[in-house]
Amino acid sequence: MRDPDMPSLNIQNLSKSYGGTHALRNVSLKIHAGDIHALCGENGAGKSTLIKILSGVETPDQGLVQWNGSHLSLGKVHEMESKGIVAVHQEPVVFPDLNIVDNLYAGRELSSGMGTWLNTASMKQQTRDILDSLGEDLPLNQPVGEMALAQRQMVSIARALFNQCRILILDEPTASLTTRESDALFKTVISLKKQGVGILYVSHRLEEVFQLAEWISVLRDGILVSTQSSKDLSEDALIQQMVGRKVAYPSRQQPVNTDITKNKPVLELKALSRTPAYDDIHLKIHAGEILGMSGLVGAGRSEIARAIFGIDEFDTGEILFNGKKFQNHSIRKAIDLGIAMVPEDRQRQGLALPLSVETNLLLPSLNAFQGMTGLDRSQMRSISGQLISKLGIKTGSPDNPASALSGGNQQKIVLGKWIHQNPSLFILDEPTRGVDVGAKSEVHRMIIELAKQGSAVLLISSELPEILSLSDRILVIAKGHVSGELAREEANQETLLKLSLPEEAKQSP
Amino acid sequence: MNHTDDTRKTSGWLRMITYLLRHRAIGLFLFIGLLTTVVSWINPAFLSGQNLRDIAVQAAPICIISCGVMLVLVAGEIDISVGSMMGVLAASMGIMVSASRAQLPPHVAIALTLLIGIGMGLFNGLLVAYVGVPSIIVTLGMLTALRGLTEIIMNGAWITDLPDEIRFLGTGTILSIPLSLWTTACVLAVTIWLIHRTPIGRRIYATGSNPQAAQLAGLSIKSIKLFVFAWTGLLTAVATLVSVPQLSVVDSGIGIGTELLVVTCVVVGGTSVNGGVGTLSGVLCGVALMTMISTVLIFLKLGEHATYWSRAIQGLFILGAILADHWISNHKK
Repeated sequence: MRDPDMPSLNIQNLSKSYGGTHALRNVSLKIHAGDIHALCGENGAGKSTLIKILSGVETPDQGLVQWNGSHLSLGKVHEMESKGIVAVHQEPVVFPDLNIVDNLYAGRELSSGMGTWLNTASMKQQTRDILDSLGEDLPLNQPVGEMALAQRQMVSIARALFNQCRILILDEPTASLTTRESDALFKTVISLKKQGVGILYVSHRLEEVFQLAEWISVLRDGILVSTQSSKDLSEDALIQQMVGRKVAYPSRQQPVNTDITKNKPVLELKALSRTPAYDDIHLKIHAGEILGMSGLVGAGRSEIARAIFGIDEFDTGEILFNGKKFQNHSIRKAIDLGIAMVPEDRQRQGLALPLSVETNLLLPSLNAFQGMTGLDRSQMRSISGQLISKLGIKTGSPDNPASALSGGNQQKIVLGKWIHQNPSLFILDEPTRGVDVGAKSEVHRMIIELAKQGSAVLLISSELPEILSLSDRILVIAKGHVSGELAREEANQETLLKLSLPEEAKQSP
Repeated sequence: MNHTDDTRKTSGWLRMITYLLRHRAIGLFLFIGLLTTVVSWINPAFLSGQNLRDIAVQAAPICIISCGVMLVLVAGEIDISVGSMMGVLAASMGIMVSASRAQLPPHVAIALTLLIGIGMGLFNGLLVAYVGVPSIIVTLGMLTALRGLTEIIMNGAWITDLPDEIRFLGTGTILSIPLSLWTTACVLAVTIWLIHRTPIGRRIYATGSNPQAAQLAGLSIKSIKLFVFAWTGLLTAVATLVSVPQLSVVDSGIGIGTELLVVTCVVVGGTSVNGGVGTLSGVLCGVALMTMISTVLIFLKLGEHATYWSRAIQGLFILGAILADHWISNHKK
């Protein structure tokens, strides 16, 4: 039972609009200290805007926020942080050139003598303590930019924990974490809750939401649809509230072609190695086949993908494409041969954010629109229009910048820009990371469609249900080696997980 | 077998070169050592006390200004107006103290010069941080405008009657070490303290490393940028005060080209043009190397061609430093 005297964060009638679109309309919400309160909604439902207001980055047009009965002055990061309201953002926001200590303390350094003398020793000690409490052993002097994505996320979570926080806002915290790292995070979240911290947990992974949260609030199109106890809610009902309609999880029950392996192999890797990332990788993907690549974050999957696409070099071994050796490889050559790549970090690697939706969609194929007098604008407009409607991209105009779109719609652009080139091989690295339920099933449908049209697909995903439902065959990578190859029928979550774990972990049950 | 041995050997070399480029101070230090050995072997006079002292005095103002410009680059901006700031500062100081002009007491003139330096830096900083004009454009405009201002102030005349108190700043010694070197030592000490021991130092690095994250962390990016430009203005004034009085004449050409030399030293010293990265030890070695180059050319007895080469070599060093940064980021993994 909740103590009614527990302090709470009281959000009243918040509204915010950007240009003509209402991002939030009259949203009221109460988060109590010691509760885990989940916030669900599709991308573009207004969650990010609410988080931005609560972390002091944005100022609302209307409404107010009270902490423990007293009004907060909105639009100031410092005001929010000093009250202990801290947000951990979805894309790990860190200082790449600084080490962990400086990352954790940026903006609130421990100093004496009116800010003229830093207490470096105590900052180091406290950093070590917080990392210990998180069960993380990270080097204190390494620039954070040289760490893996999951580690950077941990740094940014540690930064929030650090701040004596009373309300912790976690925005998609597990999007880039492996199952084991997520479990460690959940433990931390629960222990924080017991210490009386209120947690606003924003996630697309509904199992997590039901596992952790007592309360679930749903946002849709900027309006708060409901706040309910998680016990009174089923997963189906929640999804229905989020999207306002029923969504079937798309799955590929039957392979399109019952014996795909009779097709010619599109891609073949022979003993591909690069120390220390991966070693002796053999694989074959046939036309029309979806090959799932499973494994822990940092196992070497992305590095293999980057080598195939010609981004990085490899030490030894060879890459055969349509039976021919892929020589002097470069990204341009990979594109010309018909390889398409959707990278892991779409904001940084997949999109030119300030450019228009149309430019982004047509970027890889601009040469095709080259006429006598320059680019053929009307043809570009008609092709981009077709793509936008075919992919279901929600944008007011093809001229809107890609940065104005929600995460799911951005991902559709990243996929869509390759589709009308009919590539023979798609490399998809975490294609649904941070994408909401509705957009996720559309992306899944697109992937299945690609395979049906005869493209080979290499699907890298940390989400086991995604790998299991889409792949014809599954390759598991652990510590840079192929630790198993399974047909769809043989695979389930447990076998994949077991194969993914590095040797030492496997021995102790 | 033989083949793998070979590749291992080359990759060992590559690793060593990468290491030296990344730890720029160590690499430059070794390079300076090598250069000194070669030059003094050809001409032993290079290592004479008088020559080393000349090099140090020549390096002093560059070193002082570099301490400021380095922080501007670390914060993710650039300042190429310092040469013309020196011009304005030298001209106004000259007019203030000249026996035939304003005749202000020396300490008042010194204080006013420092204030003018801060003022010009603040102007740069306001336009960059609060108006939002890219710093390369702001300081390029200031480079031209302030040189013009210098010419207007000087009106074609020379100032030759600096009082002794002011001349002492440039030519005086304490414990037989020139005043400019003492000043440089103080500036270095303050900069080390600023970078390593104060919150503002950490925040400058944070801002340059990821401005978006800095904003989310509640840092005031604007005031940090304003600070680095004002700091550079102040240090430019300090450098002017200890270097210009070494000459007996103030004209309107003082400081021409200084901005390029300073940026070269800072970048050769391993400061990233993208912000967030830079060490004082690297910059110090950069300053030492770049000021040595011109002297080295003379001592190599190449004749009058030596002076023609010095600017080309300066340019090659800055290109080399930027290529080195690329090399490092490509060999990170």
